[in-house]
Parts: sequence; structure tokens; C-alpha cells
Amino acid sequence: MALLEVQAISKRYGEGHTAVTALEQVSFALEAGQLLAVLGPSGSGKTTLLSIIAGLLHPTSGEVRVGGQSVAEAQGGGAAFRRRNVGIVFQDYHLIPYLSARENLLLVPHLDGRVRGEDRARADGLLEEFGLAPRAGHRPPMLSGGERQRVAVARALMNEPQLMLVDEPTSHLDTERGFQVVELLRAQIHGRGTTCVMVTHDERMAAHADQVIRLLDGRVVDRPATGDKDLSG
Amino acid sequence: MLALKELLNGKVRFGLIALAVGLVVALTMLMSAMSEGLITGMTGAKGSLKADALVFQGDTQLALERSLLSAESVSAVAESPGVENAYPVGHAMISVAPAAPEEAKASGDGAGGDEASFDARLFGLGGEWEQLPRVEGEAGPPGPGEAIVDVTAQVDGIELGDTVSLTPIGRELTVVGFTENRRYIMVPTFYVDMPTWEDIYLATALGKTAEEASGQGEDLPEGSQQPPAEGISPALGGSASIVAVELSDGVSPAELEGNLGAGFEVATPEDAALAGNGMSVMVLATDGIQWVSLIIGALFIGVFFYITTLHKTGQIAAMKALGASNVYLYRQLLIQIAVLVTVAAAIGMFLSLGAGMSMPPTMAFDPQPVGWGLSLLAVYVMALVGSFFSLHTILRVDPATALDRGEH
Ligand SMILES: Nc1ncnc2c1ncn2[C@@H]1O[C@H](COP(=O)(O)OP(=O)(O)O)[C@@H](O)[C@H]1O
Ligand SMILES: [Mg+2]
Repeated sequence: MALLEVQAISKRYGEGHTAVTALEQVSFALEAGQLLAVLGPSGSGKTTLLSIIAGLLHPTSGEVRVGGQSVAEAQGGGAAFRRRNVGIVFQDYHLIPYLSARENLLLVPHLDGRVRGEDRARADGLLEEFGLAPRAGHRPPMLSGGERQRVAVARALMNEPQLMLVDEPTSHLDTERGFQVVELLRAQIHGRGTTCVMVTHDERMAAHADQVIRLLDGRVVDRPATGDKDLSG
Repeated sequence: MLALKELLNGKVRFGLIALAVGLVVALTMLMSAMSEGLITGMTGAKGSLKADALVFQGDTQLALERSLLSAESVSAVAESPGVENAYPVGHAMISVAPAAPEEAKASGDGAGGDEASFDARLFGLGGEWEQLPRVEGEAGPPGPGEAIVDVTAQVDGIELGDTVSLTPIGRELTVVGFTENRRYIMVPTFYVDMPTWEDIYLATALGKTAEEASGQGEDLPEGSQQPPAEGISPALGGSASIVAVELSDGVSPAELEGNLGAGFEVATPEDAALAGNGMSVMVLATDGIQWVSLIIGALFIGVFFYITTLHKTGQIAAMKALGASNVYLYRQLLIQIAVLVTVAAAIGMFLSLGAGMSMPPTMAFDPQPVGWGLSLLAVYVMALVGSFFSLHTILRVDPATALDRGEH
């Protein structure tokens, strides 16, 4: 059974003739440990798709299942579900500026109740693995863009999620660092058996993914969009 | 602790707002202490009289200054049904010169003009002397020509054992004790026995006529016909300004007023204290200032946190996307507000105590733990109300916006 099943998702914003159809009948399935790259130009519906998978947005129709469980039916408005099963890397990271790198990682267990010794050990392990150990005590404003992104990825791994969602991981980085981060992500995913949906407008990222789908105007298409040089994400 | 880390991270910002709120807290505390002090200073002598009711002359609006009851009236009150016990109280305005100026007496001119002389009030008590809390001097009633004085008179240089002279009437009083919180109209207040009061009252009321009658009226203008004091004194013997009464069980001041009939006004000491001298307006004003400053303090806190919350809606959305509940986020805000208000309260208390200590004792400053406690409680409650604006924002933030970068 697939870990992530996206079944005929459609999303319409607004009503009447001002309505925008952001997604139209999007379906796919992902096995555990797979990295999916969702490619598409700006406005194609990538963020909308990610939000629906995270349970932050309700689809107009269709259903998302994680490990066979419907995200829409998850208890507590999906917050508890996200705390336990989902790791999110935001496009602009959303690190808490007044917490150190290590504390940003520990925020995850903190929000889920309490921080145990094993959580601290896990945070230290991740910081070590991501080459952030010497920067563990630094706050985000003191870190470089690449370091910040690695903290964001490490934070998303803190709860050992079944599912990781990554929005535009390369938009703030130069090409070289962008590839490095995606490689790091892929190593983590394969090593841990985590399923990952990575959203990007950068066609070159397709090479790093196990599976690729392309979005254009909310629909899945089978060829790269041409003539669209939009780099804004 | 997330909330505290955020506070510590923005020390300057939070420190400044704590200082601003602290100043407002200090203002309310000062206002509370000063209005308490003002009320005690203005009416302590009147409002603290040991009595269930005070009987005034009719149509005087409970003003000590205007009320005068004849000896017959005083005994009529004492014998009235419903009155358990009664004693007369006299009031007079006096001018006091700290030491008796020998040369002035020698020249027969006790008149003022002496820079050191000051305004004071005189109270005669016809009993119940133990009601005056004694802070200095022997217990027991003063003898003739002796006075127990509100301790604030020490600021004017009055000490135990001093003999002060009353100008321009040429009487003297020896200070045998000090009491506290028994001032009237903020001026030093002297307590004497009824015969001493009567003598001084008559001398004051009748002006220089006593001296003129005793043969010092040479410089009176031709044809001036003032009555000699001796002719009037007997008629006023045994009179008092008011009568303080202890009522039988179940008898109200209003009932006593009914029993006494026309020509008398009756009120509890507390009510009488707030009558006249603009007291009710003053109390309204000081209460008003306290409430306004409390509301300003609350607005400070409320608006400050509201703006802070508005500034970090992105962060709030991310926290929610990470699984933080509204309850968690609001609790963090409340912790921050509680810390800020507590720091502000400490600053405020420190400032107002400092201000209070540097005030002269004659200045009305009477910190009441209850009053300050209430001020603090009110600040906390108001801050809580202010936090509702932020709560509204917290509830409204959509975690989905964390994935969005405001592209729309
Ligand atoms: N909250 C919203 N309200 C209305 N329209 C929206 C909203 N969010 C996204 N859209 C529209 O849906 C489409 C897809 O947006 P989005 O998912 O953000 O695309 P992408 O992430 O690929 O740039 C766009 O046309 C966008 O204008
Ligand atoms: Mg997007």
C-alpha cells in the first residue's frame, strides 16, 4: 500500500465568476522512502497542493490519505496529526528568530507536550549530521542562508515524520547549494524511509527525484512547461 | 520557556514598554495614596470622630464651620430618645505662632504679621479622649490650656512641651501629646477640652472686642460701638459646634434627625466627612484620574501586544502549521503580559514609594495596601482585556499562510 495517496484533488478559490481553479483532478501515489518532485511554474498550484497534503487546506473535492488514514478526518483539526506524522520545510524556513538552532529543533517536541532526553539527543544528532553542531547555539539571524535551510530541514525531521513536505527548497540558494540541500534531503529520506513531496519551479531538480509530476494551471501534465522562465516561485 | 525567551530577546523593546506601563502604575498608585491621604488630611478629624452620628445645627449642610449649637440644644440632643451617649465637639479656626513672642505680648500687640505663624484648626472634645491614637506624649485628656496635636504639626516646628500662642487673640496652648491621621482641611489640628475651646472660640469669633473691653480700645475710630465680649460670653456658655452621639441599637441617623425635629441635621461621621469643602467633587476627581490612568495603562499593554502580534502573524502561522494550538499561543501571550505587568508593577511601586518618601509629611500621601492591591489587580485585569485584541488575531491567523509567501 502506498504511504501517500492523493486521490482526484480539486481546489477552487472563491465563488462565481471570480473563482480560481488552483488544482484540477490531481492524483498520484507515493511509496515509503520515495522523493517526489512536483514541478511547475509560479501559479501552477504547487503550494496549494502542499497545503492540502499537510491538512492545512481543505480540497474542494478529492481526498488525501497518509498511511491509509484520511488527512481531512484526522482529529484535532489535524494539528496533532501534523505534530506526529508530518515534517514541513517552509519556503522561507519560518525559524523562530529568538531561539537558537538547537532550540528551533526542540520546538517540535515542545509543541507536542514535553521535551525528553531522547529528543535532546535526537536534536544533537541531527545538528551533527547536518554539520550544524558548531552553530547549535546561534540564532537564525546569525546563520547563513544555507545553514538556516539545513536547520529548517533538521527541524522537519525532529518528529521522525512519515511524510515530509518541502516548499521551494532552492529558491533562496545559489544553484550549487541548492543541489547540495536536495542531495542531503534525498539521503535522509532514503536512509529513514521517509516519504517526501518537494515542490519546486526548478526543472533541474527533477534529476534528483525518484518520481516527478508536472503541474500547469492546476493540472498534471506529462511534459515540462515551455516558454515560462518564471523564477519567482 | 518560549514566551520568556522572546521577552529576553527583545529586552529593550519590552523594557521600554514595561517602563511606560510602570509609570502609569506609579501614577495610579500615587493617585490612590494621595487621594487616600487627601481624604484623611481633609477630613480625618471629622470622619474619625468616635460616634454613630454627628448632630449639626440645621441648614448648615453638615459644615463644622457654620454649625453652632447652644447649651440647651446640646442637652436636648443628649436627652433625645435613641441617644445612648453624647459628647459635644467644638471647632474653630486659629492662627498659631510657634513660640510666644515676648516683646509682642509686652507691647500688647498679639496681632499677626508674624511670618512664622500658620493656619490651624482647633477641636474641642467633651470626652472620649481615648479615641485619639497617641503617637507621642502621655495618654489621658489634656488639662485646661493644654492640647494634643496632629503629628504633622511637627513639620511646622511644633514639639512636645512647646507652648504656642494663638494670634491675634493672645491665648496660649501647651502641647502635651501628638496624635495622627486627625487633621482637618490639611492644616495642623489641635485638640483641647471644651472650656478651653469655648474660650478660644469666643475670642476668635468676637475678634478684638475682648481686648477692647479690657481697656485697649483707644485707637478705635470715633463712634464705633462694638459690644464687649463679656456681655456675650454667658449666652454662649456650654455651647458646641456639633454633638457626637452613640445611638441605641437599631436607631438610624435619619430617625434621630426625625426625633430631634427642625433645627438639626444628623449624619454618620463618614457621610459628614464627605460633605462640604468640595470633598465629594475631590473624591470623584481623584477616582476619575485613577481610572483614566488604569485604562491608559491597559491600552498601552493591549496595543503594544496587539502590534507585536500583528507583526508576527507569519511566525504564528508557522507555529500553527507545526502543530501549535490556539490555546498554546494565547497562553504564551498571557505569560508575556503577566511578566510585563509584574515588572511594570514593581517599577511602579518602586517609583511611587520613592516619590512618597521624598514628599513632606504634610503632603497627603497615605499608601494603602488595599488601594495599591486594587490598582495592581485592575492593571492585570485591564491587561487581560487588552490581550483579547491579540487573541482575536491569533485565532484568525490561518496556518496555511505559512506555506504561502503572500504571493496573492
Ligand atoms: N488564498 C487564495 N485565494 C485565491 N486564489 C488563490 C489563493 N491561493 C492561491 N490562489 C491561486 O491559485 C493558483 C495556484 O496558486 P499556488 O498554489 O500558490 O501556486 P504556486 O505555488 O505553484 O505558485 C494561483 O492562480 C493563485 O493565484
Ligand atoms: Mg508557491
